[in-house]
Amino acid sequence: MSEPAPHRHGLEAFFATAESTPDARVEIGVLSNRGFLNVRLDPRKQQNVRTAEQVLGQAMPLVANTYTSGRHRVYWLGPDEWLVETGAGDAATLGGELTAVLAGSGAAINDVSGGQVALRIAGADARTVLAKGCTLDLHPREFGPGQCARTGLARATLLLAAADAAPSYTIIVGRSFADYLCRWLAHAARPHGACFSTR
Amino acid sequence: MLLITCPWCGPRAETEFSYGGEADIARPLDPDALSDAEWADYLFYRGNPRGPHREKWNHVHGCRRWFGVERDTVSYRIARSFMLSAGGPGADADAGPESGGDANTEQED
Repeated sequence: MSEPAPHRHGLEAFFATAESTPDARVEIGVLSNRGFLNVRLDPRKQQNVRTAEQVLGQAMPLVANTYTSGRHRVYWLGPDEWLVETGAGDAATLGGELTAVLAGSGAAINDVSGGQVALRIAGADARTVLAKGCTLDLHPREFGPGQCARTGLARATLLLAAADAAPSYTIIVGRSFADYLCRWLAHAARPHGACFSTR
Repeated sequence: MLLITCPWCGPRAETEFSYGGEADIARPLDPDALSDAEWADYLFYRGNPRGPHREKWNHVHGCRRWFGVERDTVSYRIARSFMLSAGGPGADADAGPESGGDANTEQED
């Protein structure tokens, strides 16, 4: 494989100028150095799943709209499609290994790190802010830790995951939408007080 | 707004979906044998019924899968949603959503 692409999220300007409020009830952050693999395989052949799980070192979520955590995060995207979130430096290696062990099975592994940005929305009012632009029922009873959904937020298509009960949410969005989405989130969070972080 | 039940993801807002027209339109097995009228009928002519209508939807802002919906074109009431015919991954019954709330989803074929 060639050299890993530079994993700059492109939000440096936004986070450099965003002003945090002292008593913030919403935290908006960008997770740097994340790598992403799109994995497509036929789960009806259990051997495919087992082979992939051995390389990943963790279970693949076979239940719709869930994810598994371990060395990586594996998100369910569709009945034959998953998104693996890993460290930026690991995506190419992991992708190569998966491609090698799944060769001939019809699986497709693609490194999509350059096209994705991971954001983190946390804090007491995080759910209220997300609900301003999302049609999902985000109540923990319906959408709690371990669940994820590809859905729309403020007309942007993204992957929304409930990370923990704090509450904190992970958003994985196409990088061309990331700047718009951060500005929308900042605007939506303004009445609640927002603080901004990069890490 | 319609609340459409995706066979995989469960009930979601209409804005997540894309409409794909009438369902159950089979491509002719031997297109060369068709007259122009028959070909035009396959390509362009649709039932446009008043009442129950079987139609295709794509969960384009979700799991990106095609599925079928039976919707009443008068009341817009959705009777059920169903998976399209087998062949593709995820078309098996055991790939359906395992959470509750999809009582009107059923396997077809």
